Order: sequence, then structure tokens, then C-alpha cells
Amino acid sequence: MKHFLAMLLLSANLPLSAHAGTDSLLRQAEAAYGNGDHKLALALYDSVHTHYTSAGLLFNIGNCYSKLGDVPHAILFYERALRLSPGAEDVQANLDLERTKVVDRVNQLPAFTLGSMWERVQGGRDVDQWARRSLWACAIMALAAGGALLAGGATLKRSLHVLALAALVATLASAALAAYRVADVERHSEAIIISPSVEVLGEPRTGSTRLFILHQGTKLDLLEQQGEWREVRLASGAVGWLPLAAIAVI
Amino acid sequence: MTYRTLTSALLACFASMALHAQEITFQASVDRNEIAVGEALKLTIELTNVASGGGMSTPDMGGLVVAQGPMESSSFSFVNGRTTRSTSRSWYLTATQPGTYTIGPSKVSVGKGTLETDPITVRVAKGAAGGGTNAATDQAQRRDPNLFCTISLSKNKAYVGEQLIATYTLFTRYRALQPKDYDLPKLNGFWAEEVDLGNESWEPQLRTVNGMQYRVAVLKKQVLIPLRSGKLTVAPMTLNYLVNASIFSSGTPVRIQSNAAEVNVLELPAGKPADLIGAVGDLRLEVTAPKTQVKANEAIDLSIRFQGRANLKLIDAPQLALPSEFETYDPKVNDQITVNGAGMSGSREFQYLLIPRHEGKYELGALTFSYFDPASGSYKQLRSQPLTFEVAPGDAAAATNGGVPSKVDVQRLGSDIRFIRTGDLQLRPKGKFLFGSGAYIAGMALPPALLLVLVLWYRRRQSRLGDQQGQRRRSADHVAKQRLALAAAALGKHDDGAFHDALGKALEGYFADKFNLGVNEVNTAMIHAKLDAMDQGRTAQAYIDLIEQAQMARFAPLVDKPQRQIYDQAMAIIGRIENHRPA
Repeated sequence: MKHFLAMLLLSANLPLSAHAGTDSLLRQAEAAYGNGDHKLALALYDSVHTHYTSAGLLFNIGNCYSKLGDVPHAILFYERALRLSPGAEDVQANLDLERTKVVDRVNQLPAFTLGSMWERVQGGRDVDQWARRSLWACAIMALAAGGALLAGGATLKRSLHVLALAALVATLASAALAAYRVADVERHSEAIIISPSVEVLGEPRTGSTRLFILHQGTKLDLLEQQGEWREVRLASGAVGWLPLAAIAVI
Repeated sequence: MTYRTLTSALLACFASMALHAQEITFQASVDRNEIAVGEALKLTIELTNVASGGGMSTPDMGGLVVAQGPMESSSFSFVNGRTTRSTSRSWYLTATQPGTYTIGPSKVSVGKGTLETDPITVRVAKGAAGGGTNAATDQAQRRDPNLFCTISLSKNKAYVGEQLIATYTLFTRYRALQPKDYDLPKLNGFWAEEVDLGNESWEPQLRTVNGMQYRVAVLKKQVLIPLRSGKLTVAPMTLNYLVNASIFSSGTPVRIQSNAAEVNVLELPAGKPADLIGAVGDLRLEVTAPKTQVKANEAIDLSIRFQGRANLKLIDAPQLALPSEFETYDPKVNDQITVNGAGMSGSREFQYLLIPRHEGKYELGALTFSYFDPASGSYKQLRSQPLTFEVAPGDAAAATNGGVPSKVDVQRLGSDIRFIRTGDLQLRPKGKFLFGSGAYIAGMALPPALLLVLVLWYRRRQSRLGDQQGQRRRSADHVAKQRLALAAAALGKHDDGAFHDALGKALEGYFADKFNLGVNEVNTAMIHAKLDAMDQGRTAQAYIDLIEQAQMARFAPLVDKPQRQIYDQAMAIIGRIENHRPA
């Protein structure tokens, strides 16, 4: 039974250590990037990205775009990396640097310190971290409860009971966070403007009132979709419609 | 300078005719015998001391074209009693093709003889450089053939930064010419540098333009360096002169305007090197550092010298990429630049003073500078010898600071994105998460399931243990109930005597049965012997008390203790004894 469980966990967690081909692609990409051939590095990372993803991979792709001078795509991939691993320090640093090259200055609310701390805590190192934590907490809960059942001394029994209860709470909380993280990653409710400049219109129709002009690299919230049009909201709160082709969903 | 080729043909004198012993000469001359295509030379044939020169024959021009002429003139002078008479005939000749031309002899009959001039050889070179015969000059000449000025540029196509020579030339046929004022053109888009012409004023030699001879003066010469690309124009120059001034008149004012000179300035080609220093021309580099081994805080002299023919004055001090341990000051600029008719040449030297603040060995590598070479139309790189400075620990710093280096703020030289992540990127298949996967559900379900199994197992074991005890308790209860059945019946009938009688008998009977004794063997000592092990003798005492109480109550009913309580006590004590298992 234990053996079976170990097998199950292994197969779920390490899906590609066996993929020697992917590994060699990554090594080649690293070498190309190191030599300054960012175009080749990007192509190699992209080919890995067709099937796999991770915050590190997205970060590296963002770096390639940044070195090639493609600001909007660099921002897009940094944002995607942050989505998988919120609060990743080097991703945030590079994103901040790229954002200085964005033309539009949108008045953004300053990040709430506690909020960003919470974000970092709930984000974890990767999407699966809370799921792994919930598994651990669940195992600890079962062990503590079982120990309490069999323990002789009254004090030991009581402390094991308390531990089991705490582990149960932790299990439920981390499972909830894991569910939230997956939903968050899958939500795709934000986008980056890819076109050099795009007019935001009042209605999802060519020729309707032009509300404002946005430039590449600006981040938007996505609202409704209608055909080839997407309703967006700026950080400042302004809402309008723009063609789907002008943006890339984070 | 006029080259006069004098050939004289002297004939035997006719003594009879030599009344005045005057020499007869007949000669041909040209004002110069080297011209360029388009220029003109003047051929003069002069006969002296012959009364009538009408018989001069026109020489064979040998391919040269007569631009003007013949022009005849004669003069007569009387000096110191000697009379000189001369007749001359002149032509302006030009050539359309370069080559060597020979002007044939001219003949004249004097008396009975014939005089003949020597042939003259003229060399015609290819199209002339300079402002002699270009379109601008032609145009200016047409405007006023007697007085005009031109601006000519050495090139009509140049790169930004390339040197051009602008020549401002005055042509005149007036003898008396007084400059009044002039208005030099404003230069827009050029860096100009005057060429020192010295005291030179009128060119000693006349210049012929389209067959007309002019006195020529170069008013001004400038080295022009275009600063931007496109069509740049040197605006026309305006001059005011008084001509034909004499003691009788102050002269006629004449205002002349030159042509505007145009140059097509090309942008430097693409692919500018990073170390471009803005020089255009032909350069050499000389980097010298006389002292390369110094102590900290000692000055190092570094001299960077650009030499050659280029726009030297436009070279800015190069920025040296020195380690921050070096303190540098703005370099001193030493110019040895001459500006002459060929342009700007010489050298510009930048003298740097470097002061290393910390000891160490500093490899500065080779200094490289690029410039543009318009002759080849490409960028060229100058490269110095690699520079290495060895700096030994300084005395001064140790003395003042006690050997502790002064702290320096970390300099931020630039910003760049952070490097990619290498090593394990912890890749996962796209769109798959641990949460919600089969493994996760199994992992979450397994520990509680195992716990449940454990709990069930524990329960069953507990219940098995509980059964043995319960059975014993149940059988003890059963025994007690059986024994006390008669007493219970009497209790139900409220028959006090019967109750106590039955109770006493039951207690004695139970004890006897329990310990395999006869009923008569039951006494206080035996009860003590058998039950003292239990409960430190309390059970034994309680049992004795109960029996005695029952015997006494048979005769004297107990008022203070209800029968039910006594019955319960008896039940309890029998149960206790039944349950007791000797250790």
C-alpha cells in the first residue's frame, strides 16, 4: 500500500525528469542565451513551452523577449511567470524594469504592503505548493490522531489530540488555498497590449467613438467578449472595447 | 609670369637702307605656352622699325582655334633721339583637345628680303582645376565681363565632416580698382576656418577666361566643414568697388555679386562604430604614457594624439573607460593645426592626467577610435598598444589614513534585467495541477482512511476486552440476584422478618458456596481470613456487619435503615466479591 502511494505521488510530481530531450533543449537554450543569441534561445524555450510550463521557463522566455527589445511580450511572459509564482523576486525586478519602457502611465493604486505579503504567502513557490502542503498536513493529522488513540500517557494523548486538530485545520485551509490558486491561474482575466498602439472604442464596432489610445505593454482587466471584440478595464477604472488581436491574455 | 620666347631672325643688313642704324626685328610670342582645354593664350607677332607692317602673313595655328583676333596695333616712340616704330598683330587662341600644338612661322617681306618667325610649341593640358573655366565663372563673366567674382568649392559632393576648400576669387580688367566694402556670405551649416593667405594680393600672372585676360586676386580662402547632410549652399558674396578712379574722378561705383556655391553633403554611411570620434579624413593615432609604474595617488600622464589631414578641430576629447579607481580630469588639448589651401592638417593632442587611488595592476586594453575615411568611403579604426598600469601602494595614503582605504560608494554603472534561471526549471505539463489530480485525491483520502482502519481495529480490541469484564460482572450480578431472590420477594411483600431472615441466609450461603465451606463454618474469623485481601479489609468488615445486622433485625426491627438500602448494599458487596480476581 505504501509503495503504491509513493509511486502515485512520484508519477504526479515528476512528470518529465525522464524527458532527456527537453532537458537538452533547455541546456542548449541556456548556452545560446549566454552567448547572446537570444533569438535561438527564445525559439528553444518556446519549443519546450509548447508542452510544459513553469515560472522559471516563462521568466526565461520573458528575458529573451526583453533582450530582443520586444517590450510587450517580455511583460506578458513576466506577468505569466508571476501568476504561477506570485512574489518571485527576480521576475518582479525584471518586470519593473520593462514597465519603465511602457508609454502609457496609468494611475495604479499603490500595492498594499500587507496585501502583497499575503499574495506572496498564498502564492507559494509554484501552483502546487499549497496542494503539497495540504497533503503533508493531512498525513500529519492522521498520524497525530492515530498516535493519540494508541498513546498511554494522558498528557501525550492530549497534546497529540491538539496537534491532530491543528493539522486538520491546516489541511482544510491549504486545500482551500490550493483550489484558489488553481482557479487563479486558470482564470485568465488580464491581458497585455501587444499592438504598438490601439484605440479603445466605446462600442464593439469599428467606427464607434474613440475613447482613448493605449500603447504596447499596458496591462488590462478583461471583462466581456463579443465576437472579435473584448471589453477591457484599465487600472484607472476606464472601460472600453478593443479588438482581440491587439492584446494577449496573461 | 610671362614666358617670352624670343627668336629673332637677323638678316644681313642692307647698308644702304640702314639710314638710322635701327634694328629691324620680327618675332612671335605667346603669353604662355602651357594652357588647359578651354583656356586661351595670346599670340603676338611684332615687327619693329619697319615703316609698314601690312605684309605680315597669318601663321598656321597648328590646330588651335582662334577665339578672337587678329587685333592690330602700332606704336611709335621717340626716345633720346631714337625713333622706335612697331606694328603688332595678336590673336587669342584656344584648344578643344589636350595635346601639343605647333604654331607655324609668320612671314613678312621687308625690302627685298623675307623675315620669318620661329615656330612656337604649345602644350594643352586636360580641363583645368580651379575656377578658371567652370560654369559659374562663365555665368559671372557674362554678367559683367570687366569685373566679377566667383566662389568655388574644391568638391561638389562631400561627406558630413569632410573638408572643403572655398576660394573667393576676383577677376577684373580695370586698371584702377578701389575696394569700397564687401559683404561676405554667411555660412549656414558649415564650420569655417580661414586660410592665411599672407600678403598675397594680385596674382602676378594674368589669367585668361574665355579668351579675355584678367587680373586675378584670391580674396579669401576658407576650409569649410559641412556639419549636416543635404544640399548646403554658400550664399553669394557682394562686393562694392570704385572703378576708373583717377585724379579727375572719384570713380564709378560698381556692385558685383558672386555666384552661390552648392555642395551636396552626404550622411556618413550606416554602421557607425561605437568608438567613432567624429573625425573625417586621414588620421594616425599615437598613444603615449611615459610612466606606467607609479604609486597610488601619483599622477600618470596619458597622451592621445591624432595626427593627419582631417577636421582635427572637431575632434572631441575621447571618453576613457577607466576603472573607477582612477581619478581623471578634463584633458588638456594641444593643437598643432595648420590651415592652408589644402585643408586642415596637423595634430590634436589630448593630455590626460590620471590619478590611481588604489594599488593594483590595471589592464586598460588597447584604446580604439574610429574615424571616417572619405577617400575609401568607409570607417577605419585606430588601435593603440594595450595599456597596463602597475600601481604600487602609495605612501601618502598610508600616512594620512593609517592604511585604511577610504570608503567609496558602490557606483551603479547601468541597469539590466536579471539573468535567466538555469538548472531545474521544475517544468510541468501545461494545464495540469497537483490539486484535483488523481494522485492528490488519493493522497488526501489515504491518511483518513488509514486512520479509520486504525480506529475500527482499536474499537474491536476494546470491545473484546470489555466483554470479559462485563461477563464476569453480569454473572456476579446473576449470582447475587439468585441468592437474594427470596429476600427480594420478602421485600416486595414488606415482610420485615422474612426479608432479614432470607438476607442473612443468603449472605452466609453465598460465602460458604464461594469459598467451598460448610454453612456452619461461616464466622467472623473465616470472613476476615478470606476477604481481608480485598480492599484492605473493608469488604470483610462490611460483609460481617451486614450478616450481623440481618441476624439482629430478625428480632428487633431496624427503624433507621430502609430495607431497600440494605438489599442494595448486599447486592453490591456480592457483586464486588464476584468481580474480584485475586492477584
